[in-house]
Amino acid sequence: MPKITVDGKLIECKDRQVVLQACLDAGHPLPYYCYHPGLSIPASCRICLVEVEGIPKLVPSCQTVVRDGMVVHSRSPKAVANQKLVMEYLLINHPLDCPICDQAGECTLQDYSYQYGRSQSRFEEDKAKKPKKDVGDKILLYSDRCIMCTRCVRFTREISGTGELYVDGRGYREEIDIFPGKPCNNKLAGNVVDLCPVGALLDKDFLFKQRVWLLTRTESISPVDSGGENIYLEHNEGIVYRIKPRENPQVNQWWISDDTRYSYKVLTEAKRLKKAMVLRSGGAAEAEADAAVAAAVARLRALAAESPGCLYAVLSPMMACEEAFLLASAIRAIDSQAVLVLGPVPTSGKDEVFKNPITGQQTFVIKAEKVPNAAGVRRVLALLGGRAATWDDLAAAARPEVKNLKGGWIVGGYHSNWISGEIPAIIKSGFKVVQDLLPTPLGAAADVLLPAAAWAEKDGCWENYAGQIQPFEAAVPPPEGVMRDGQIYLSLLDRRGQYNAQLVRREMGEPFASVQATSRLVQSPATEFVPL
Amino acid sequence: MKDSDVIVLEEPKLSLTDQFYLPQVLVGLGTTMKHMFNVVVRGKDRVVQYPEEKREGLPVEKGGLLLRTYRGVHRLNKDEEGRVKCVACFMCSTACPASCIHIEAAESPWPDREKYPAKFDIDELRCIYCGMCEEACPVDAIELTHLYDIIGLTRQEMIFDKTKLLEIFDQTVKEEPM
Repeated sequence: MPKITVDGKLIECKDRQVVLQACLDAGHPLPYYCYHPGLSIPASCRICLVEVEGIPKLVPSCQTVVRDGMVVHSRSPKAVANQKLVMEYLLINHPLDCPICDQAGECTLQDYSYQYGRSQSRFEEDKAKKPKKDVGDKILLYSDRCIMCTRCVRFTREISGTGELYVDGRGYREEIDIFPGKPCNNKLAGNVVDLCPVGALLDKDFLFKQRVWLLTRTESISPVDSGGENIYLEHNEGIVYRIKPRENPQVNQWWISDDTRYSYKVLTEAKRLKKAMVLRSGGAAEAEADAAVAAAVARLRALAAESPGCLYAVLSPMMACEEAFLLASAIRAIDSQAVLVLGPVPTSGKDEVFKNPITGQQTFVIKAEKVPNAAGVRRVLALLGGRAATWDDLAAAARPEVKNLKGGWIVGGYHSNWISGEIPAIIKSGFKVVQDLLPTPLGAAADVLLPAAAWAEKDGCWENYAGQIQPFEAAVPPPEGVMRDGQIYLSLLDRRGQYNAQLVRREMGEPFASVQATSRLVQSPATEFVPL
Repeated sequence: MKDSDVIVLEEPKLSLTDQFYLPQVLVGLGTTMKHMFNVVVRGKDRVVQYPEEKREGLPVEKGGLLLRTYRGVHRLNKDEEGRVKCVACFMCSTACPASCIHIEAAESPWPDREKYPAKFDIDELRCIYCGMCEEACPVDAIELTHLYDIIGLTRQEMIFDKTKLLEIFDQTVKEEPM
């Protein structure tokens, strides 16, 4: 393990690590624009130049590999002079339209201008004006804010492997552009917006919606597939405005797919169910959530008393493991012979694999299984044991377990209509409580219909395809009149108190018990002024 | 806390005249009479008869109001073409200590501008007239005028929207140019 000295501080590094990464890992800030740990290193922005003893010229810290005993100065007069020059150079043609720029507040150009720059411009000539370009269905490019770090170009070449973006021109005419008629619309395109250290690439979806300093970040997991991509939900006053990737080297590295990025839209979907409905003679009538739950439980109890073993629960792979466990325990408490059914697991055929076209290395995978927790619900079913079936068994009504079912609790919660084709006859004829996010034919036929809370509105954990159990936390409250699913299941079990995912996990035992949600609010550290 | 830190206050003892009350009532009446004499006979210490008489007409040393520095109701300034000058940067609502400014931004309908406020509401009842919004504004779009006699019959009326704030600009621009 090589050790280097940076500004008088001894830093332990990994072998073959670059100086910049070693400093960042050790919590010693150095400015950088073009460097990104997931991309190749062009060393083009030049702001990370540092002085290394024994080398007469400044060297780029992002490209210089550590050597044992290296002595680095990042705040020496020579290094600071370079930082100031680079900042001044980058701001020569920058429009300084921070008031209307969506990046303001999370812009490294702003931060470094404050920390390393000079407060005045010596440039008196007219600034070069470059056009605003539409580079994709979701992405806008404001060329005049661009500092040509080429992170976006390297991303489309090395990670998505699609290469839509390129650098056009040279010198002050240099611009990021797309080839004519070939917009940047790949399934990972949104990541270029996250990569952009300034406000050049912006998301059309988030454009002008909120200022970033008003947003609060909550750690969450992608609900769109079984990959379990780590995300931040960014919200303000109970509304989620955008989703950003959360770095996790074991799962998604720094990237997320666009499906994940825009999955928050289901939260404010106009069609979303918000009222509990109870079927009475003469059609379905609106009811209070707790009254509807009470009515459902009374009927289920009556059915179970009549003929034991006639109840079932359909556990959706959209549910959190804790909720699946609570609902399954609740239904087994009413009828000890109840059948636990894993809900339908939709797939899109094959995994989408992204490769670096140069090295052939796999960079990102979008899983074909379009639900986040099929593995987790299977694990819960195995944990509880007893009679179990799958949705297909229900539909076919072939196995003896599913022959005499008369009543059940069906959880949906999918982000689209999940009933493909006919409702299985065994469900159609019996008593059914349906808990769902969006209206479906099954919901319309339900005896009791309960609105469900979406993943951003509740706590829980999901297991991804690789067996990693990851917690997510509630960012926003559910719509008015919607009870959190876990709370409903607690009332089914006649248990008092608030639903607490951590306590339920402890009750479930390993491997769930050791899953720990890190924190409710993640504050990014405030940028500090670097004294010179 | 130590015992020595505690100050025990005794109720003051009433003197003989205090105990009779009547002499003290007469002393109080005397103060009233003194002021009546000052106002009616000597013409001093007069109360301003608002709204017939207003403080801005009086010299400052006689209790007048200096309108130049007075912070009254807000206005939204217009540019040369009569469009709202605000670029919806949210600086004022971020700086506002009373959280009384609510903005909704949108893409502007004009080719030379990027962003404009689709909605701009100020709750004038919640506002503390500190002027932080004015200071935070990067384009001098929001200003406090010297108007102080704003009235409304309901709370809803006192939430001034963009139209109302632009109206105040038209109303005050002659006396208070940008």
